[in-house]
Amino acid sequence: MSYLELQHLNKSFEGVVAVQDINLSVDQGEFVSLLGPSGCGKTTTLRMIVGFESPDSGVVRLGGELMNDLPPHRRGMGMVFQMYALFPNMTAQGNISYGLRVAGLLRPEIEERVAEMLELVSLTEAAHKYPAELSGGQQQRVALARALAIRPRVLLLDEPLSALDAVVRVSLRQEIRRIQSALGITTVYVTHDQEEALSISDRVVVMQRGAIEQVGTPEEIYSRPMTNFVATFIGTVNQFNGVLEDSAQGRVVSEGMLINVLPVTDGQFNSGDLVTVLVRPESVHVSPLEEVTEAGKGNHARATLEGVTFLGPVTRLSLDRDGRTITADVSTQERGRFKRGQALRLSFSPEACQLMLSPTQHPERPNSNTA
Amino acid sequence: MNPAASWRSRIRGQWKDWLPVLPFLLVCLGFELLPLVFLLRGSFTDGQGQFTLDHYAKMGASVYARSFSNSIMLSGITGLTGTLLGTVIGYFIYRLRSSRWRESIIALSDVTSNFAGAPLAFAFVVVLGSSGVVTMAFQEYFGLKIYPTFSVYSFWGLVLAYTYFQLPLMVLLAIPTIAGLRPEWREASLSLGGSPTQYWRYIGLPILAPALIAGLLLLFANAFGAYATAYTLTGSRFSLVTLQIGFLLTGEVLRDPGAGEAMGVLTLILMGITIGLYQIAVRWARKWQP
Amino acid sequence: MRTRNPVGALTIGAFLTYMLVPILATYLFSVATRWDRSLLPEGLTLEWYRTAFADRWFGIVFQHSIILSAGTVIASIALIVPTAYWVHLRLPRGRALMDLLTTLPFAIPTVVLALGIIRLYARPPLMLARTPAVLILAYVIYTLPFMYRPIANSLEAIDLHRLTEASQSLGAAWSRTLSQVIIPNILPGIVSGSLLVFATIFAEFTLATLLVGARYKTFPMQLVYYTRRDGRIASAYSVISFTVAWLSSMVILWVTTLGTRQRGGPRAKTTAGHN
Repeated sequence: MSYLELQHLNKSFEGVVAVQDINLSVDQGEFVSLLGPSGCGKTTTLRMIVGFESPDSGVVRLGGELMNDLPPHRRGMGMVFQMYALFPNMTAQGNISYGLRVAGLLRPEIEERVAEMLELVSLTEAAHKYPAELSGGQQQRVALARALAIRPRVLLLDEPLSALDAVVRVSLRQEIRRIQSALGITTVYVTHDQEEALSISDRVVVMQRGAIEQVGTPEEIYSRPMTNFVATFIGTVNQFNGVLEDSAQGRVVSEGMLINVLPVTDGQFNSGDLVTVLVRPESVHVSPLEEVTEAGKGNHARATLEGVTFLGPVTRLSLDRDGRTITADVSTQERGRFKRGQALRLSFSPEACQLMLSPTQHPERPNSNTA
Repeated sequence: MNPAASWRSRIRGQWKDWLPVLPFLLVCLGFELLPLVFLLRGSFTDGQGQFTLDHYAKMGASVYARSFSNSIMLSGITGLTGTLLGTVIGYFIYRLRSSRWRESIIALSDVTSNFAGAPLAFAFVVVLGSSGVVTMAFQEYFGLKIYPTFSVYSFWGLVLAYTYFQLPLMVLLAIPTIAGLRPEWREASLSLGGSPTQYWRYIGLPILAPALIAGLLLLFANAFGAYATAYTLTGSRFSLVTLQIGFLLTGEVLRDPGAGEAMGVLTLILMGITIGLYQIAVRWARKWQP
Repeated sequence: MRTRNPVGALTIGAFLTYMLVPILATYLFSVATRWDRSLLPEGLTLEWYRTAFADRWFGIVFQHSIILSAGTVIASIALIVPTAYWVHLRLPRGRALMDLLTTLPFAIPTVVLALGIIRLYARPPLMLARTPAVLILAYVIYTLPFMYRPIANSLEAIDLHRLTEASQSLGAAWSRTLSQVIIPNILPGIVSGSLLVFATIFAEFTLATLLVGARYKTFPMQLVYYTRRDGRIASAYSVISFTVAWLSSMVILWVTTLGTRQRGGPRAKTTAGHN
């Protein structure tokens, strides 16, 4: 059931809208990420949850309880900050025990809980060190332990890994997820790094310009983006703008190219709609012309290999088909099969196509030349 | 090369390196170090050039002891009020929304922290003297006769005048220190359940403490060594260490040089300790606010 | 969260009042005909200024103060700049000594310094004390912290060794290197230090009175004289004193925010100069 609820949250700063009608339900124990570019409102939303900003309108509820009028120090939420925010005049132990001391717990209980937390983040030997003596990763782990020590009802993290270097980031995010799972704490995690969000979240909330674009599991967000922004923000995608000629058959015509998509069954699209077909590069298969492939309902085209970009495990091919660029990913091991300037056959199945109403589709406006 | 020769050439080489700074060192020697040395020596010497502890024994006499206690009280009180008020004022200035106001007030503090000495003392007479502006105002509007119950020429008048230049000094020291308190610390404290008061008690004030102590020590030294303000305001009516020493110096003949030197040495010891502690406090402050 | 705090506004208001009232009162007093019977001046006049300027002593004491200030600045620069340069360049071990010597004056109250100097030099055969020259040297020591800090900061901010090596490799002797390469690069530090010293010495009373006294009257001494004789003339002197002080503060602030940001600047002066 829903544990943390955001209803119709709105917030503006000096006339500039930061957050617009945000609605979200987070289940108990769920790990939800707020993902988006800077300025999209994700941090503002987080700060409204914890209480550092008050919404202009809208409601924050935790376990049914209204949070709006509660000051931050009475909400029982733990927060981890981007720049760690460890108190410099206290050791790791001092920092972790702070929330417990403030709550008036007794010494033995405090000591026990602190030891438990240090153990949890694998920093027992650093108990007596001051923040200045710890590395960035260590400081953030102390910050995490500090937030968890008070047994918060919700854990909030504001871009906790942005200040750390790449290697630490990957290992620490796994650790955060592991700890969160073990403790079962409802968590809201803000980040602009899609790999981070996709790899550790139960659900991802993609935001742009103060509004929610899409909420879904990482897989849904990636494979079935519902808006143009989500499709282009997450990973790379090929976009084919055109007209849905026949919705029942699933036929789209885009710049003289016929694309077979899955037949439209739910009435979302009608024949004649301006649509965009999205295909991920890894779904585009590439083969030399000589190779025989099965014909059929799949989509085939000829193209010339223009560019090759080495990305590590995957190599990205830029193919030119009549002036339009199509991106395909191949495993780097296969890379040797393709040469620049070579004529190649590309193909992708109808199942790999995601259909979306074209962003320029506007009821009041007459159709103009798109893409 | 045998060790003795190499040692000698090393000394010679080093010695030459120090030549260019010789003029400066000589001036320092002549006008900074030697005077203090001679002061020390003179305080233990009687009129005939014999060793004596008489001068220090004299310090117990009421006239000298009183001047020390007055100076310490004056410096302590203005140091304390200056530190506390200056920090609070600095805090509010720091929190001002308008940066134009903030910078103007800081500039004003910068300028007024130098307004000490005769002009300042005189200004206070204009304001709070027997026919001063504020004195008159109180009489006209509130029917209160401040003077002579509160006389600007008394101890408390001095406190008021000294505070005038102590306050902005502390304000200037406090603002960067308060600016060093990161807002995330306050937010982290709140998120952990700490009320704003608890934040100040466990985090804010402890982090500020070394800087505040440094400020207090500096203000104390500043006030203790002041002369012109007190001289202009009270003449020789009020007994302060600096005035007392000055009194012993004026006139063509030094009245009791030995006593003066003893006072000077004691003052230097006190100042030395104060400034020494100040340096320690500054280093301690830098630890938490790089 | 940042609501307008009435306590804050009140506190700052009280602070500003406390700071400005004495100054404004002095300015007003200096142009008032009479102001000892009523809340506001009875009339306005420039008589006090005219009287002050007419007195021949005015020109004399003003001149004396300028000479002392300028003399101290020149002597300070001549002594400190080459020394600071040499220490930073060749005598790293001397740095600690320099720091000590230049912060020591903070711990020496002016009366004690005066006492020490007089006792040292007023004995035969060295009856040298009580001359303006001695006063200037005493002033140099007194303002050591104010002059050294900005210069040292400037020296630390530039790449001293490279500049010196480059200059020498191009054939310049020491004096050339110093005057044409180093000094132009640390000019902001020198200028702000000089302004500070100038303003401080111009308003300095204690050392002047005790070391030289009536033999070389200075502007502040004359001011004190008038505080006991004629408050109205004293106020005119005060106004001039205030004006010189805040003019130089403005120039210092202006210089330190120009071009290179000095880490010294207004905060280099931690104790007021002429208490």
